[in-house]
Amino acid sequence: MTFCFRNLFRRKIRTALCIIGVALAATFVIAVGATTMRYTTVIKEMNVLFNGQVMVVDNKSMVIQAIPIGGGMLPQNYTESKIQKVAGVEKTVPILLVTPIGMGEIIQVVPRNFSIGIPVEDWQLTLGPTLLRGNRGHFPTNESGNEVVVGGSLADEYNLTVGTALLINGYELNATGVLDTKLALLGRSIIMPLELAQKVYDYQREINIIAVKPAAGYSQADLAEAIERNVAYVNALTESDRNDVVQPVLAQVEMWNLGIETVIFAMSLILVMTVTVMSVSERRRDFATLDAIGAPLNFVFRAVLLEASLIGILGGILGVIFGSSAALLMASFYTNIPVAQFIPSILDIVPPLYMAEIFVAVVTVCCVGGIIPAANAARTRIAEVLRAEY
Amino acid sequence: MMKLRTEDLTRTFRIGSSEITAVDKVTFEVNEPAFVAIVGPSGSGKSTLLSLIGLNDYPTSGKIFIDGADSSHFSAGQRRKMRLRQMGFVFQTFNLLPTLNALENVELPLALAGKPRREQKEKAVGLLELVGLGKRFLHRPKELSMGEMQRVAIARALANDPEMIIADEPTGELDSKTAKEIITLLFDINKKDNRTVIVATHDEKVVDVADATYVIQDGKLRLEK
Repeated sequence: MTFCFRNLFRRKIRTALCIIGVALAATFVIAVGATTMRYTTVIKEMNVLFNGQVMVVDNKSMVIQAIPIGGGMLPQNYTESKIQKVAGVEKTVPILLVTPIGMGEIIQVVPRNFSIGIPVEDWQLTLGPTLLRGNRGHFPTNESGNEVVVGGSLADEYNLTVGTALLINGYELNATGVLDTKLALLGRSIIMPLELAQKVYDYQREINIIAVKPAAGYSQADLAEAIERNVAYVNALTESDRNDVVQPVLAQVEMWNLGIETVIFAMSLILVMTVTVMSVSERRRDFATLDAIGAPLNFVFRAVLLEASLIGILGGILGVIFGSSAALLMASFYTNIPVAQFIPSILDIVPPLYMAEIFVAVVTVCCVGGIIPAANAARTRIAEVLRAEY
Repeated sequence: MMKLRTEDLTRTFRIGSSEITAVDKVTFEVNEPAFVAIVGPSGSGKSTLLSLIGLNDYPTSGKIFIDGADSSHFSAGQRRKMRLRQMGFVFQTFNLLPTLNALENVELPLALAGKPRREQKEKAVGLLELVGLGKRFLHRPKELSMGEMQRVAIARALANDPEMIIADEPTGELDSKTAKEIITLLFDINKKDNRTVIVATHDEKVVDVADATYVIQDGKLRLEK
């Protein structure tokens, strides 16, 4: 091991450049991979909000999972009453979801914040088993009051706690709780009673989502079809409809990601192989000497392979550190949320298993890059090399 | 002690379309711990002959017998083992590993032979003291003079107590004073430790002290003294 370390650092600049090259490759792979993985996770988790329900939106809206983008608003009472007449509807929940996402900003998968207006008796529908942080505070109880709960990420960014006053569009709102959730969408949400949301955002008796719970014995698909037949201006999307819109895009993102990883790792392989070939060709006399003094056949092979592996290990460690940092920066850049807020959730952004996978991949690539030069070094013919010296 | 015998030992090289015979039907033997000098001009075949008898190269034809055993029957592993344990090599250009210090260079053959760590160190220190480098253990080759590097190389050659030392022009890079010291050292190794020392050289001083001198010319070997 000492022998290999010393050989590596005999050519300090070359070795350092090679390690940096490998580290940069790993950095790029981790940053891009973790970011796309986070986006796909966020997109997938949006569907958690309307789990088991048909989501009804204006038929001119484009929907990314549960988020309607653009399109029109729905008249609340008229649309709800028409849907309630459809057979198989157990319950309808009108929702106003206000988001800064526009078509030009679509790259920001997690927008800076959302406001969700939902009738107070239907909190559970949106929030699921989400609790309040530290079990402090309470969910708003009065439909026309000024009470709201805020997502943890927003609360951390703006130092919001129970009792903090928020000023939105000239209305003073009172935070009565902070959501304790890992869902990115809820973490960035301000959740308030529907009537309050309609007042604050000036959508009088208008909504943009109706969540419809099918009655027992009715499938989501049948119910969605019946709703669209009876209410001409809406789209009724089942869970699988919502997934179908995004799945091909997500699949393509993953494919591109894999392609980028393959190219980057191939470049690392070539880099390590080139450096190892150079190193081996410069040390032919050393290998011949080792052979002459009776070093076992695989000693040189193992030494060269170990050197390539050390490049991989050092490059991989640096790559994981740089890559995780870059993923944090990218998460901050694409969401406009300060980096400091992401630090506690670094292991959610770059999961340890993903770090380990990339590290193992980098070390493996470097080992593979060292095999051919190591085999060449082990085949060194003593007599030829030593004779050529004179 | 190791008995060495060659029979019609021949080594040819093909360079382009021409064939060069570096060692031509050489027959000689060393039966007792002698100090043997092989002299000849550059390109006469000295190094090739040493490579062959040191089991670093394979003859084109002819045989090498070591303690009566035909080396052509040795496996590559057996040849390595013999180089490690029964032969010690000293090269004109020293061939010390540049990343290891003097002590580590001497410890290397001991480590390769599987000697315990403590034994490696004790033995290497003893050998470096023997060759007069008691205070230069931790210096890397580039921090040593040529004479000191050759002493380290001799200490390394002695590490596993070989029965034969093969030295290829060991004084070729040294000034005359240092060369004399190195020859004295090799001579002592032969006489005090009863090891065979075979030296390929141009150096007249080696010839003066050698028990037997062979001259090699165009690959052919003849006994001079």
